[in-house]
Amino acid sequence: MNLSPLHIVLVGVLGLLGVGLYGLLVSRNLIKVLVALQILVKAALLGFILAGSASQQIAVSQSLALTVIVADTVVAVIGMALAVQIKRRLGTLDVGMLSSLKE
Amino acid sequence: MAAWLILLTIGLPWLGALCVWGVSDRHPKAQHRLALAFAAAGGLVSFGLVLVPSSAVVLSIPMDGVFGDFTFVADGLGVLLAIIAAVIGGLAVIFSNDYMASEAQLGRYYALVLLFIGAMVGLVLTGSLLLMFLFWEITAFCSYALISFHNDDPKAVAGGVKALIVTQLGGVGLLAGAILSYTHLGSYQVNTFLAEAHTIPAGVLSVIAFGYLAAAAAKSAQVPFQTWLPDAMEAPTPVSALIHAATMVNAGVYLLARFYPAFEAIPGWKGAVVVVGLLSALLAAIMAMVANDLKRALAYSTISQLGYMFYAIGTGAVFASQFHLLSHAVFKALLFLGAGAVIHAVGTRDMRQMGGLGKQMPFTRTTFLLGALGLAGLPIANGFFSKELILESGATHGPVWGYLGMLIGAGLTAYYSLRMVAMVFFGKPEEPAHGHDALPAMRFSLFVLAFCTLTTWSLAGGVGQMMEGSLPSHHLHGSGTWAIVTEVFTAPTTGFALGIIALGLAAWHWRSSLAWLIKPLRPLHTFVASGLGFEWINQQVINGIKGAAAALRKTQTGQLNFNVAGVVGGLAILLLILVWGV
Amino acid sequence: MWETILIFLMCSFAIQAIRAKRLLASALWLAGVSALLSILFYLLGAYQIAVIELSIGAGLVTVLFVFAISIAGEDAIGARPLIPLPLALGLVLLSILLLAWFVLPAPLEEHVADEASLSTALWEARSLDVLLQITLIFAGVLGLLGLMAEAKAPLEYPAADETSAQRDRELEALQRQSLGIEKEST
Repeated sequence: MNLSPLHIVLVGVLGLLGVGLYGLLVSRNLIKVLVALQILVKAALLGFILAGSASQQIAVSQSLALTVIVADTVVAVIGMALAVQIKRRLGTLDVGMLSSLKE
Repeated sequence: MAAWLILLTIGLPWLGALCVWGVSDRHPKAQHRLALAFAAAGGLVSFGLVLVPSSAVVLSIPMDGVFGDFTFVADGLGVLLAIIAAVIGGLAVIFSNDYMASEAQLGRYYALVLLFIGAMVGLVLTGSLLLMFLFWEITAFCSYALISFHNDDPKAVAGGVKALIVTQLGGVGLLAGAILSYTHLGSYQVNTFLAEAHTIPAGVLSVIAFGYLAAAAAKSAQVPFQTWLPDAMEAPTPVSALIHAATMVNAGVYLLARFYPAFEAIPGWKGAVVVVGLLSALLAAIMAMVANDLKRALAYSTISQLGYMFYAIGTGAVFASQFHLLSHAVFKALLFLGAGAVIHAVGTRDMRQMGGLGKQMPFTRTTFLLGALGLAGLPIANGFFSKELILESGATHGPVWGYLGMLIGAGLTAYYSLRMVAMVFFGKPEEPAHGHDALPAMRFSLFVLAFCTLTTWSLAGGVGQMMEGSLPSHHLHGSGTWAIVTEVFTAPTTGFALGIIALGLAAWHWRSSLAWLIKPLRPLHTFVASGLGFEWINQQVINGIKGAAAALRKTQTGQLNFNVAGVVGGLAILLLILVWGV
Repeated sequence: MWETILIFLMCSFAIQAIRAKRLLASALWLAGVSALLSILFYLLGAYQIAVIELSIGAGLVTVLFVFAISIAGEDAIGARPLIPLPLALGLVLLSILLLAWFVLPAPLEEHVADEASLSTALWEARSLDVLLQITLIFAGVLGLLGLMAEAKAPLEYPAADETSAQRDRELEALQRQSLGIEKEST
């Protein structure tokens, strides 16, 4: 197996994926959850650009990555607004307390 | 030409449903008239189908890809049931004009009834297994919606939900059969299935056969699925007459009759059908003997008579079962509509509060009596001929214990028929006279059905020949009407049956002198009245499911981390499967 | 060589972002990840995206986080995670290792030569994407405005006022009725 620099980057994608998932599993603060989400999306972006670089289609992959960045930013904005409102109404950002969808 | 007839017979009721719903509930008279017009038109058009029975596909709507073609075939079996559905549907709608005159939400009622009529006609005329399943589901939905028509009454809602659940469980069997047929034969067409059934591996064919038996038993309320029909009597009476006596419950019998050539060679299938029919006939007859609710007693008698039809198919007499289907549809609809007239007049369904109504309601009494004659199987009415044909076939082709059981069932049938008539129309009047006789539209339907009860036996020859000509796989032998009549009158089994029936009638008439027999059986009364233990089984199944659901609730913590752990865990399992698969 | 260093630094910054005790620190580590990522993008040949990622990821999102944290405040939340740590680590490691087993053997070679420029690819081939992005931005703005609106206190709605008054009247009538029945029966 030829180890090219791109394989290192692929390892990086997987690593970021792992860190993001771990963050989602372990964080109790809602804002930390948003941070973990952002890390996951960065992993995906890296994957896109990596694929584009490896297959000579950097332009297409950049367009896709742009769409992902826009979507991800909108998600971050809405998530932040939600976190602020939750803090205002319910007084806590603890994910363990925010379980009224239980029933 | 046949294609147009089929399209009209299905399309006119459906168009009527749209129109009645569109007219809106602010014009109830218009809704009554429109529904009547469309239903009557559908009924009249359906008669035209008699002219064109053939086993060829007359109408084919190609659908893309995996759905096959939606085809329609107008063969003898389908035409018979289509006419029954359309005509009795029309008569039930005519009856509803007076019965439902003071009810609200007529748009919903008539739309559902008309939708049902169209779907039932489609069910029996279609040649594609998938389309058959689709129409099956539409009829189940209409049945549920109409049982729960008075949706502010918890009993009605519970009855509707129960009917839906039990019949849908059976519907799964039908879908499985359709899919298995497609995977093995590459086609959903019924004609293909019947012709090539022997090429399917025996194990798979057994699964299809018993799956269809389960679906038919659930739809026709046979043992062990019979608990939904008595509870479905919360529906308005014309609905009970149409759906739960004359058409939808016959869908199960139709299914078995249509697929009989494919399944008859499977070991144990015919025996299973005989057992199901026998048990239903006997158990339901016993329950009818102690029922005090008029409609419930009629529901039990429906289950019992459907048992006779199943028994007939199990012994190989497909024609006899369809002939009895025709007779039963007519006299059972008559009985239900007569019961509706009584209930409309008196306001209660409890037979112990009726009595002596014959004086105030002579027309209803006469027609109801004719229906009861058909039910009991006495020589004037059509029920006699069809029942005798079944018993005769059972004696010659079926197991002896089956024949004896059905014979006893005939006696029990006579007993409870006379019991019903006597409790409602004869004897001392319980309360001051306030019953009015049937209203004009009701009288029309009752008269037509009574006339048919006395005369449909004469169609036996025609029906037989129509079916023989257009059902090549079934190898039927149709004889002329006169031949059938003489056959019935000269068979020895007829004598036995008439003897047993007379015994049953006598038992009711002189029941006071049979007290020595009845008293020791008294403790069983509650057991029988509560459905012979089947209701208890139902309740246990429901409790079990509720318990399992409550236990599984613990996995719903509502916490983000827990749910994400589920996601990641699922991902890990998926990857593990892929790794081992690779 | 550079890629290796960048990847290593990026992963450790990300881990620090998760592990940080203070939310503000978390947001700053995230900004660091964005910066490193943009350099990596540049090295891979995606020049425009590198710029966009730097400005949005390390700029806009970080500022958003800082805003939210300052409004929502930093409360110490109970340190015990809801999923036991070994289980979480185990699940994640298992999934990532399996994924790596699948994905890493893929033949990858660097080609930086390319055909079309970003603008042709974006505006001609993926024009629908651009439309979707615009829609998404509008939806985001509307969502934000809706979420940040001031909520009215329950009784400020005039309709609610009326129904509650009506209910009070009915309750009084019922009470009078039952009292009247009691008086009759005694």
